[in-house]
Amino acid sequence: MSTSTDLPDMPVRAAVSRHAPPGEDAAGSDPFACPILEVRDLTIRAGTRELVRDVTFSIGAGRTLALIGQSGSGKSMTAAAIMGLLPPGVSLSAGAGIQLDGRRLPIHDDRAMRAFRGSALAMVFQDPMSCLNPFMTVGAQIDEALWRRGMADAARRRERTLDLMQAVELPSPEVLRRRLPHELSGGQQQRIMLAMGLAAEPRLLIADEPTSALDASVQAEILTLLERLQSKFRMAILFITHDLAAARRLGHEIMVMRHGRVVDFGAPATIFSTPRHEHTRALISVRRMLEQPPPPRARAGETVVDVQGINFDYPPRRFLDRPFPALSEVSFSLTAGRSLGVIGESGSGKSTLAAIIAGLKRPVAGDVRLFGTSMAGHDFAMPRALRRRVQIVFQNPHGALNPRHTIATAMREPLDLLRIGTRRDRLDRVVETLNRVGLDADFLARYPHALSGGQRQRVAIGRALLSEPDLLVCDEVVSALDATVGAEILHLLRRLQMERGFALVFVGHDLEVVRWIADEIAVMADGRLVEQGPADRILSAPGSAAARSLVQACLKPVRC
Amino acid sequence: MSRWLPVLFALLAGLARAVGIVVVTWFLCRVMPGDVVDVLGLEGGLSEAQQADLRVSLGYDRPIVVQFFDWAQHALAGDFGRSVRFDRPVADMLASAAPVTIELALGSFVVGVALALGLAIAATSMKSRLLEAAVDGLNIWSIAVPTFCAGVLGIIVFSLWLGWLPVIGSLILPIIIIGLDNAGQIVKLVREDLAEAVMLPHVRTARAKGLSPWRIAVVHVLPVAAPIVLVLSGLVLSGLVAGTLTMEILFGLPGIGSLMLNAVHGRDLPVVLAAVTVVAVALVAINTLVDALHRLIDPRVNR
Repeated sequence: MSTSTDLPDMPVRAAVSRHAPPGEDAAGSDPFACPILEVRDLTIRAGTRELVRDVTFSIGAGRTLALIGQSGSGKSMTAAAIMGLLPPGVSLSAGAGIQLDGRRLPIHDDRAMRAFRGSALAMVFQDPMSCLNPFMTVGAQIDEALWRRGMADAARRRERTLDLMQAVELPSPEVLRRRLPHELSGGQQQRIMLAMGLAAEPRLLIADEPTSALDASVQAEILTLLERLQSKFRMAILFITHDLAAARRLGHEIMVMRHGRVVDFGAPATIFSTPRHEHTRALISVRRMLEQPPPPRARAGETVVDVQGINFDYPPRRFLDRPFPALSEVSFSLTAGRSLGVIGESGSGKSTLAAIIAGLKRPVAGDVRLFGTSMAGHDFAMPRALRRRVQIVFQNPHGALNPRHTIATAMREPLDLLRIGTRRDRLDRVVETLNRVGLDADFLARYPHALSGGQRQRVAIGRALLSEPDLLVCDEVVSALDATVGAEILHLLRRLQMERGFALVFVGHDLEVVRWIADEIAVMADGRLVEQGPADRILSAPGSAAARSLVQACLKPVRC
Repeated sequence: MSRWLPVLFALLAGLARAVGIVVVTWFLCRVMPGDVVDVLGLEGGLSEAQQADLRVSLGYDRPIVVQFFDWAQHALAGDFGRSVRFDRPVADMLASAAPVTIELALGSFVVGVALALGLAIAATSMKSRLLEAAVDGLNIWSIAVPTFCAGVLGIIVFSLWLGWLPVIGSLILPIIIIGLDNAGQIVKLVREDLAEAVMLPHVRTARAKGLSPWRIAVVHVLPVAAPIVLVLSGLVLSGLVAGTLTMEILFGLPGIGSLMLNAVHGRDLPVVLAAVTVVAVALVAINTLVDALHRLIDPRVNR
């Protein structure tokens, strides 16, 4: 298959550079009169609703445009439009124009766009596990991208596959090549996705939240890799993210989108020093807020929870296999009015710990003493009187509320179950709590689907507070929320804690967030609590390897 | 090893099922009013004494349980005895009938699965209304039109009006008719499974690679749907026993189905039992094979 007949619309420059070794790309010798990507008046509609409106921007060779926006801002739609991958039912306005290397892309013609995908245009997605074909070895998937690019010789493709795997800094490519996606780690999977994108030798690489589904330390590695690959291959990168720090680190320019419109654009320094739009200011203020955590509170009051050497095993997957130890010998204690942040990578056992403290899981060994009462003494069936005093809030506010219950029913339920107050009294309490979490009585009759993610999380927190707990366990409560919404929830938690004086166990994977809310931080790794201490000390002088890698991974604070 | 343990269990369960079918059939045949001697007596005018002699020589005078174990012992050794009616070894009769049925069953299976898969893939990758209508049409056809109706229609059109095919003995028409019926039973389910698979993120990756719709469908979508295709294929194969019987009778094909039906009418017990045993064992083999393939197809063993 010859590439010239396969890809009739290929820009000449890309065709020339195709067989040039990396580094000797045309970018050096070619005078770039026009940018690689030029998007003009991009408007995207779903029916009559406008998802993206009048978006115009351009990216030059070897440059990165960081596109920032919260969920629903239209940033991913913009990327999909450039790739010609808009979902069914979503259409482009007739006036929209996208140019690649000075030539118009046939964005209204799906069939013609296919010639550009996987050649001049490549894309890397958010969740690499589900974005790789689970039935094909990763080597075969890179190989397929090369084959599509017109490399007919299987031996050459194999050689190039190994080169690409080396370029994305994968260890022992010859071995990994034969693996299936589920046999690789998340970071390795994303490197395979990148290698697949590079196989196209693209002029433009679109990276749509390439690190959001990965652990913090892996995120930093992937960002560094993207930088290195760009300086080597000189392609333009459209980097889509919701993380301001990542955008500042990678972007030569930053573009902020909100409700489908571009609200701010400029060099990172300019954006940070003189943000033009109120939304940009809000995003920056979240970063500043996270950089300057409030002072820790004094250790005072009674001990609320005392965890003593607990172990927890998940049952073996197969008969006669060993059980998987999720927690081993974890101990800590927490006094009233203070908060403990629990941090660790995914699989480190932090959520299991939260569930055990809240009485949702039963440890195989050790004891949890709540308010002086030994749970082991009660066979880990929490007495009703204690149940009221310990509440938990989960990560996903969508799943935590029954879709068939109104907010009033959902919030009154714990009061009914715990038999607190009279019926009349209970409704008053619900309204009062709604006010306290920043919602009003109008929400009582609504169903969860009519609420935003932030509002739902407020309801979930309100519901937990209704029984006036003395210990609140929060399991990744802001991880699924947009940055500004998450910041509001953090403020809310802090304020409520001041007012009520409950102890807080806050589980998270974002070190900055955890540091902001916590007086003390416990670092988990492989089911063990490897380090515990004042939040400032963990940040400034991490003692364990796990803590050090988390601190290093936490992107350099953005000083403005 | 532990991966294949369930296959072994499935095989044992299937064998138990086959034995059950044979035992029940055996006793049902004996409960039926009239035996082969009665039938021969009515047809050939055998005298009472001759009939009694015949019964003794067939061993029908012995207790029924003894007769059963005697038969089972021979059957296990592969000896199904002789047909009373035709005085030929049953094995010979089966051997001459089996090829017709196997040809009919495999032919219609291949036609059915190929048609269903092809149509479902085409409808998935081409997004054409016409193909969607074809999927629905085929599905409704198999529900609404019994194969014997389709068979009679086919004979009228292709044999009587057009004169393309003989009325009796042609395999082409029955294979197409059962094939259509098979395809109609599974095409809609396959299509729906493929439509779901198309929404998976890794299919979006394949599109971002610039692959053609056909390559995406075959390499990236079909493996996702493979387990369900396999299970449906197993169902189709099991259903073929009834399907081929109707066609063999309608088109006068000398297959296992015709053999079995004639033997039941003539109370030719050895032939009925041998045919039932062969079919039951074949079904068990097919089901076990499907089960084993199912395990092979999905590389994610622990999921």
